[in-house]
Amino acid sequence: MEQMEIKALVLSVLSEARSFDGYIIVRAQSRREWGMRLSNGRFERVSTGADSGFGVQAFTKGGASGFATSDVLAEGVGLKLVEKAIQLARRNEAIGTKLNSKIWEAPLVQAEEGNPAHKSFGEIPLVELEEMVMTLHSRLRDAFQEGVWQTSYRQVEEVWCIGRTDGSIVSFVVSRAVLMHQGTVRDQGKAQSTLVHRSGMDASVLIEELEDHVLERKALDRAGFAKAVCGAPQLPNGHYPLIIDYGLAKGLAHEAFGHAVESDHMNESVLGEAGKLRKGLRVARPGVNIIDGPLPGDWAYQPYSANGLIRQTVTIVRDGVLEAGLGDIFSAEEAGMPVTGAGRSESYGHIPLPRMSNIRLLVDRMLPLSSAEHLMDEVKAVRDTLLEHSELIKGEKNLLLLGYRGGQVNPKTGDFVFQCDGIIDVADPALPIYQPSIFSGKILSALEAIRGGLGEGCYDAIGTCGKGGQAVASSGGSHRYLLMDADQQVSLGGEHL
Amino acid sequence: MKLVAQLEDLLYQSQHTPNKEELRLSGWRILVHESEAVSLGIKDNSSGGVYTPPSYRQSENGEVFLVWADGKCSQAMVQLGFQDDREYWQQELEQWRQASYEDPDAAHIPAPESLPLVAVEDRAIQKIIAGEDQILFDQVKQWLTDKPSQAKMQGSIQTAWGYRHVRTSTGLAVTYQQSQFVTWFSFDSLVGGGFAKRRLSRPEEQEKLWARTLNLYEAMHMVAPPVGAKTQVILAPSMTEDMLGQFILPNFAGDRVSEGQGAFSKESFIENKLVFHTNFSLCIDPLRPLELGSYLVTPEGVPSDRTVLVHEGKLQTPFLRVKDSVRWGAKPTAIPQGTAGLYLTHKAEVPWVEALQGVEDGVLILSVLGLHAQEAVSGSYSLSAPHSLRIIKGKIVGKTDVKLTGNFLADLAAATTKTAQSELDTHPYLMIMTGVQTL
Repeated sequence: MEQMEIKALVLSVLSEARSFDGYIIVRAQSRREWGMRLSNGRFERVSTGADSGFGVQAFTKGGASGFATSDVLAEGVGLKLVEKAIQLARRNEAIGTKLNSKIWEAPLVQAEEGNPAHKSFGEIPLVELEEMVMTLHSRLRDAFQEGVWQTSYRQVEEVWCIGRTDGSIVSFVVSRAVLMHQGTVRDQGKAQSTLVHRSGMDASVLIEELEDHVLERKALDRAGFAKAVCGAPQLPNGHYPLIIDYGLAKGLAHEAFGHAVESDHMNESVLGEAGKLRKGLRVARPGVNIIDGPLPGDWAYQPYSANGLIRQTVTIVRDGVLEAGLGDIFSAEEAGMPVTGAGRSESYGHIPLPRMSNIRLLVDRMLPLSSAEHLMDEVKAVRDTLLEHSELIKGEKNLLLLGYRGGQVNPKTGDFVFQCDGIIDVADPALPIYQPSIFSGKILSALEAIRGGLGEGCYDAIGTCGKGGQAVASSGGSHRYLLMDADQQVSLGGEHL
Repeated sequence: MKLVAQLEDLLYQSQHTPNKEELRLSGWRILVHESEAVSLGIKDNSSGGVYTPPSYRQSENGEVFLVWADGKCSQAMVQLGFQDDREYWQQELEQWRQASYEDPDAAHIPAPESLPLVAVEDRAIQKIIAGEDQILFDQVKQWLTDKPSQAKMQGSIQTAWGYRHVRTSTGLAVTYQQSQFVTWFSFDSLVGGGFAKRRLSRPEEQEKLWARTLNLYEAMHMVAPPVGAKTQVILAPSMTEDMLGQFILPNFAGDRVSEGQGAFSKESFIENKLVFHTNFSLCIDPLRPLELGSYLVTPEGVPSDRTVLVHEGKLQTPFLRVKDSVRWGAKPTAIPQGTAGLYLTHKAEVPWVEALQGVEDGVLILSVLGLHAQEAVSGSYSLSAPHSLRIIKGKIVGKTDVKLTGNFLADLAAATTKTAQSELDTHPYLMIMTGVQTL
């Protein structure tokens, strides 16, 4: 469905609710997706898909809500959903639910934003996309024949429209594309896998990759590293000075700090007190900043919230001090923070939750890092830079953590765990490699341990945020590397029996 | 007109009297789900709040797999068109044709076989969907009344009921009803309990689950001595399930094994290599009545059947979808629904109450951070488990924070590993000797 059709659908559903004395939010979405996966030189899957539907969130005058959704766009369904949502809201009110009337305070927004992609969804026919991806896959296989390779490509276009009882109507298009190479390598009877990606808004990512082969080089470097990791020793459990790459830094910023300042979590957040954001709390050294906001062209770009408000860029931590949170219309005030349009949802069928878009962790104290074509050259450049600036901590391992495999945080206790692809000791001129092991500890200690950045900002570390059981695109980054002091509350490693 | 009927018409016509010869199909299959669901949640001790309101969901969607006359394949997700007309579906068909690709192993539609009788529907759930949903509101109210006064509770109840339609060009035409009932709750986001089956939970099951969770929550408020190097690690049933999902499922997927992307090679399966201890067996059983992983027929039209993946420690087969089975040269197997339908058994399994009494020095792991980030192929793990429970001389004595380091594949191969049966879960407690340190 096109933007105009979706808008017409939303307006028609809103008109069904004219006589209701409460408040209605209608969210409609039309999604198209093309995807393909190749494995060892063959197409394993090429798929197309479309999914459209809408959801109605009704609020009684008192502020009790009910929600009804459907992917059946037949006549009469709009009225059925409006009636169902109102009925559920009234039931909810009768059982004494916690009321929330904040939606009445939302500002009127009427906006329409077209597709920001450079190439429209079907501009390059699927057959041509298949040829491009096969070319890239075949090159990689030829270049690293001892690995088993899978290549996948996915492009998505989502057309959204959000309408509200107050006359607000917001329509926008979100486009995403990603090319991924996953390799499995074996050595000394052990196996390791590696995953690299290149993302953007549209099929331009394929055209660019065919020109510069940046992702291919990264895949080859990472495969070589994974092979070395297979036979690498384990690190003893301990507290070390660390250098983390920007993917891990994004994970730290997203999991550890972003979620902890979302307005619906203040009752269970280490950065909250009595349900309010601990504004003014020093959480890091001066010069450390954490910022969240949509970046045009980014994987997680979304210009408006799923409640129809403008998505704002928020400085969460400024100069080491906690300054602001990510607030949606429903819980921002209660959490002691302004509304920043942070509500996002996986689809029309999900209730929006406050969540991040692109989060980046930056420090004022940045050491320049010369660019290098290959991974181990870059690692050597890291060591040289640290030596040059007397930043290598003498007498102990200085461990560089490469690759972000994912992580998890308990926002209530502040415990975090992240996993990397492997570890290199840059204090040793031989640059020995170690097996990956968990990077874990307390989030406030980790933030306090950050002492500097290496290299310019890289913000294209992408992922999927699973908060609330929903899958929403997320991204972010940092300097190419972040330097962290050893801290007793942040540890690395662990030994087998 | 229902989606499944529209698709059947379209594909039948395209097989026998296509609009264009290039759109001629030689085979096809259709899977359509028609479902309705009702849910209700608790957030921070409040039911039905703005983030967890009572919700109703209606959906009718599915997927098609097509084999064109030239042998190429296509697959697509489908839903009812905005306009119910043939022009829309003809456009879709043309797009599917554009998306076709060569995959000779996949271009196979199984012939219909007789289906087993498997109970996958609870009529009581249909009544809830039809409007008799007071039971959901009552359950939530009961939880909030009974919860420990100081605990912050989160929870959810979801019910779903609907039709599953499977059609194939070889003559399979199955439609059946299925239902689902999933609940979970947690106290302070530290200790929780859950239920997930194709039937409503029984009052005695709810009571036992509630009592078990309360006991664990109370123990969480006592401080326990730290673990030692010889402390036995016991994974709670939900943890066993999570470990199976992370380390076992990917390594038994037929496509990954065939492509050399799993922990075990194809030859290892063919040679029935011993990879786990002989006490262990592993199977997929979609025939168990009213379990979440049970079904009558796979989306590809393969009848439900029990498949043994590991017998007494020896590899038997990976799970094989139709395409994988063609490559493997065997019949398609049962397919797990996530970890539902996957069962790990140990020859010397004892009830948990009995096993607990025999634990001199142990730690019960209820949850870990970072499991999904572990390397499935190697089986290695390095996990943080804050809020675990210390067991000393057969008694749970209090909370402790630990870090686990080991290899799950090696755990299943160790003679020291045992299981204990949980009366409330389909997965067992797993008792292992692994790297454990105070966090």
